[in-house]
Amino acid sequence: MTKRASVHSKNLQTIFYPNSVAIVGTNKVKGTVPGDIFTNILDAELNGVIYPVSPGEKFIKGVKTYKYVVDIPDPVDLAVIVFPSSVCNKALEQCGQKGIKAVIIISAGFKEVGEKGLKKEMELLEIAEKYDMSFIGPNCLGVINTDPFSRLNASFARKFPAEGNIAFLSQSGALCTAVLDYALAKNIGFSKFVSFGNKADISEIDLLYYLMDDEQTKIILLYLEEISDGQGLIKAAQDVIQKSQKPVLIMKSGRTSAGASAAASHTGSLAGSDQICDVAFRQAGIIRCENIEEMFNIAIAYAYQPIPKSDKVAIITNAGGPGVLTTDAAIKAGLQLAKFSEETTLALKKSLPAAANIKNPVDVIGDARADRYIAAINAAMTDGDVGSVIVILTPQSMTDIDTIAFEIAQASKHYDKPVYASFMGEADVASGIRILQQHHIPHYILPESVCNPLATIYNFCQSLKTENKLVTTDLSFNKDAVNSILSSAQNDNKSYLPEYLAVKVIQEYGLPVLENRFVKTEDEAARMAGEIGFPVVMKVMSEDIVHKFDVGGIVLDIQSEEDAKTAFRSIHEKVNKAMPEAVIDGIYIARQVPKGTEVILGVKKDPSFGPVIMFGLGGIFVEIFKDVSFRVAPVSKQEAIRMINETKASKLLAGARGIPEMDVDSLAEAIEKLSHLAVDFPQISELDINPMIVLEKGKGCFVADTKIIL
Amino acid sequence: MEKEEVKNKVKKVVAQVLKIDQSEVEDDSNFIFDLGADSMQSIQLVAAFEEEFNIEMDEDEAVAVQTISEAVDFISGYLN
Repeated sequence: MTKRASVHSKNLQTIFYPNSVAIVGTNKVKGTVPGDIFTNILDAELNGVIYPVSPGEKFIKGVKTYKYVVDIPDPVDLAVIVFPSSVCNKALEQCGQKGIKAVIIISAGFKEVGEKGLKKEMELLEIAEKYDMSFIGPNCLGVINTDPFSRLNASFARKFPAEGNIAFLSQSGALCTAVLDYALAKNIGFSKFVSFGNKADISEIDLLYYLMDDEQTKIILLYLEEISDGQGLIKAAQDVIQKSQKPVLIMKSGRTSAGASAAASHTGSLAGSDQICDVAFRQAGIIRCENIEEMFNIAIAYAYQPIPKSDKVAIITNAGGPGVLTTDAAIKAGLQLAKFSEETTLALKKSLPAAANIKNPVDVIGDARADRYIAAINAAMTDGDVGSVIVILTPQSMTDIDTIAFEIAQASKHYDKPVYASFMGEADVASGIRILQQHHIPHYILPESVCNPLATIYNFCQSLKTENKLVTTDLSFNKDAVNSILSSAQNDNKSYLPEYLAVKVIQEYGLPVLENRFVKTEDEAARMAGEIGFPVVMKVMSEDIVHKFDVGGIVLDIQSEEDAKTAFRSIHEKVNKAMPEAVIDGIYIARQVPKGTEVILGVKKDPSFGPVIMFGLGGIFVEIFKDVSFRVAPVSKQEAIRMINETKASKLLAGARGIPEMDVDSLAEAIEKLSHLAVDFPQISELDINPMIVLEKGKGCFVADTKIIL
Repeated sequence: MEKEEVKNKVKKVVAQVLKIDQSEVEDDSNFIFDLGADSMQSIQLVAAFEEEFNIEMDEDEAVAVQTISEAVDFISGYLN
């Protein structure tokens, strides 16, 4: 943990649970941010003392004001700064002098307005560091803590939300107000609600770590516009998920492919930044959501109900069509229909009319009243094969909607299995939906919409059972040798390594390369070729030549020392003719790769997540089919196998239609080692191994060609 | 007009617009941080200075002025 992260960790507790709050720069004017923040803190009935600081007022709403924060005679825990940006630095400096450690800076006019604003923001950071203060913002809506031990509404949101166990963090303040309104209508409560704005000091990473230990929080939702520290974010999310078992849901906007278009290698051009974001989130166990509705659909299912016991659902409906639609959606989402036991079938038979369908999905038929629903719910809940229950209602003339809603809520309390509901329609079912929401039965307008959140939660809980660490193996490599090669190239201002050095680099990291030599004379070529053993390949090494094959710089299938001499001369002659200005540094000789399946491995650097590893089918297919998979480095061997299996190429490697099974195990080891090289040497901006030849199972794989760009 | 005279007039105008005692207005007082001016009052101050000194100030530059002494220098620039 960095020094600042440690300071934030301590100060965040004060931000959420202050005993005293100074609102610095407030005023009496209703409908303004400085005025409304004071009113909101006052109206929320803070569990602490409030000090308005307002140089222009003697009192606000009957509360004595202070001209400066340093004038307050008592200690102050939290300062909420609402002054215009031009004087925020003065206000923060005084907070530091006063000994205040926790600050929320609501004011806008910083990084978001350009260079001048960024400078002001940096000044704030310097002041905070000087006094060991931490601040949220600037340019944010503020912070809400519904915990009765705090009841802090240091925001200019219109309403104080209900108490709950969902934490919501957002980079966008405007989205926060919309979410609060949405949540209010659906009776969704929050534990902590934070708009962190420009995240100049406290970031989403600090907040994630705080919420990891927050007893009021069961699930964390995060809206992000930019990821400035991708590695930090996935590490934090991974820690939160593994240590506290709290799901982390992220909605990430601002998708761009600009990074990919600027890339110089296969790997670079194939990896879009958003795709890498997807991969990184998946690796960390983060659930990525496309929109607010999806996010809250999952959140309410997890926050308000027990976790599903299995992936097997029971569907109870009073209409056949919706039951079938939900069944389809459940199967599509990867769930299964529970198979009822004989006892369950008997219980259903006894309590439902003869016309009812007592198999799953259970149809209690259109004229069902609450008693039939409850009988069906009780029967399903007690069945050992049922992991969760979905209750569907369509409003018929005799349907006692409100009673059914109430009884569902009551029945659900008796079981440790989740119940989800869908009361289809709008006007007639509105009061029933409200009853469900009041009792925290997750409700979905369309019954099909239940299935994806349910499957997501089930998969999340399953993933907790399998360790999902980014690094699992302790490997040792000759870092010094690689460092020496890379440093020397960088000192010579080289933008890429010649192949013989690139091969040396990956060899030091244990990647399987074929025996090779670098020679400068014809006789040396013959002798070294003989040492390596035939057949060999020879390639021209020149900084001036990018496409060796096009200028006759590659000779394959050399079978003797005499052939090696001929090839040496041939390469020089052809290259001199095609590119007379090119300086030939020497000739690279390597054992010829035996035939096998060609794959590509690569590394690229993502601006947010750092080094990323790519795997795909080699040759021309990589460009045409884009059959590739990515992971943020480093990856374990197990993760590498998952990477391989994600691609269509995995079928070729697994053996099919007379093709033997290939050595996936050694390929996965190579991916793991390559990922460590990428992490250990950030100066490698891109790396391609294209192709890597994978041989039959047990015979390994070999690098045939490699390119390292610095 | 001498700078001292400009300063006294500036302080008088500020006290009137912000409805505070002139004794509270010091040379290095910041309009917002020390005297509690809000955005509306900042604009009112610019208008009051223009009327008092019979000048026409660039509004963008004028609202960037933060303290009494800065205002005195700014207005003196127009007068000279």
